[in-house]
Amino acid sequence: MEALQRLDRRWLYAALILVILLPLVKPLGIPLRPRSWTVQAFEAIEAAGPGDAVLLSLDYQVSGAPDIHPQTEAIIRRLMEKGCRVILVAFVDQGAQFAIDLARKWEARGKKYGTDIVVLGFAPGVEAAISAFARDVAAVFPRDVRGNPISELPAMKGIKTARDFKVIGDLATGIPGPAEWIRQVKTAFPEVSLVGNVVTVMGPQTLPYVQSGQLAGCMIGLRGAAEYEVLAKQPGQAVAAMDAQSMGHLMIILYIILGNLAYLATRRKKGSRA
Amino acid sequence: MTQQLTTWTAALATLAIMTFLFAGDNKVFRFAQHVFVGVAAGYGVALASSSAVRVGWTPMVTKGQWGYLVPMVLGLMLYARFVKGFAYLSRTPMAFLVGLGASLSMKGIATDFAAQIKATILPLNTVNNVILVLGTASVLVYFLFTVKRHPVVNGVSTFGKWVLMAAFGAAFGNAVQGRISLFVGTLQFLLRDWLHLIG
Repeated sequence: MEALQRLDRRWLYAALILVILLPLVKPLGIPLRPRSWTVQAFEAIEAAGPGDAVLLSLDYQVSGAPDIHPQTEAIIRRLMEKGCRVILVAFVDQGAQFAIDLARKWEARGKKYGTDIVVLGFAPGVEAAISAFARDVAAVFPRDVRGNPISELPAMKGIKTARDFKVIGDLATGIPGPAEWIRQVKTAFPEVSLVGNVVTVMGPQTLPYVQSGQLAGCMIGLRGAAEYEVLAKQPGQAVAAMDAQSMGHLMIILYIILGNLAYLATRRKKGSRA
Repeated sequence: MTQQLTTWTAALATLAIMTFLFAGDNKVFRFAQHVFVGVAAGYGVALASSSAVRVGWTPMVTKGQWGYLVPMVLGLMLYARFVKGFAYLSRTPMAFLVGLGASLSMKGIATDFAAQIKATILPLNTVNNVILVLGTASVLVYFLFTVKRHPVVNGVSTFGKWVLMAAFGAAFGNAVQGRISLFVGTLQFLLRDWLHLIG
């Protein structure tokens, strides 16, 4: 056991990479059961029908994208299938680039920019910008990222305030996140259906808002995306990643157990010497 | 071609960052890190300035909406702190920002304080509700530092401490899960978009 204390940590990294890599190449098919808060989020988003406008705020950075971007992809895929209008916005600078890339991707798949999907762009100012946006969309974004006046875009027809969106999803890696959206949007428009989409680390701090009814539902990290894909019956990259994630967790649990055993063995030896 | 170049650049930068795991702090890692910081900063500045032009400058010069001049001048005054002798000018917009931040946060009294307290007033008819109510109450008791340490208070406080430990454990578990998710996503990018080994 003491040898473990001296083990080169690079062996641990290598083992972890291998254990995660193998299920990605050859999936194991471990069953996945959606959790209640994801089901609530799914149902809230499903409430949007053909022609309804859904706002997705991509408030995330590149560093957290592997954990949260699959959620965006899964939600947009479902909304496009249903014929909803997807409006993308960002209150974190790097989020705007993801939105621009997604719009291009869906254009390449035959969807019409300005009608099916719109990118409003990035607005600096965090909470102040969210508050202003919620009260008057056109004041913060008179034009979209391509320079079109939003009053001329079919996708923006009838959208004046946050109240006019059927559902709002905030996809966040930090601040601003669901807490800021609740403060600035739910207080002004309590009837707005707001879904919190967060990275895994933010899960525990976001769930109380679901329990209190301030969020219509919550999707947490890559697993949240996988659960959404299962519920939407559109398995994609998030579902494919779940086996690897489960194996990674098992490996971490094994490391924690071995680490503690090695620590206890060392402490006992030191105790017996004393 | 552009897409391929983008993918290769991202893949090589990812591998460069990963060298830290096996070679520690090295030149390749530092290069990738510095490039990332520089690109992110440059991107942020470009986006923020174009937003200021779109929302403030354009309506001002094309529609004569001169009201935007006030926030623009206040914004420029922030930079006065870098000019010796004129640093005091930055205090006015800073005071404005502090006031704005404080007033926006005031809404938290309704959303984070009152609404969360209301959410813990529940009928004790399910196990979850009992755990939630007792957990919240006992954690609050744990933070009562000015109450005489009666054995009952000590007992509730200890229970509160264990509730806190469970919450920290859940938070740590989520942190680990989050890191694994990030790594899985990165490997998916390398295997799918770069090497085309998975579908």
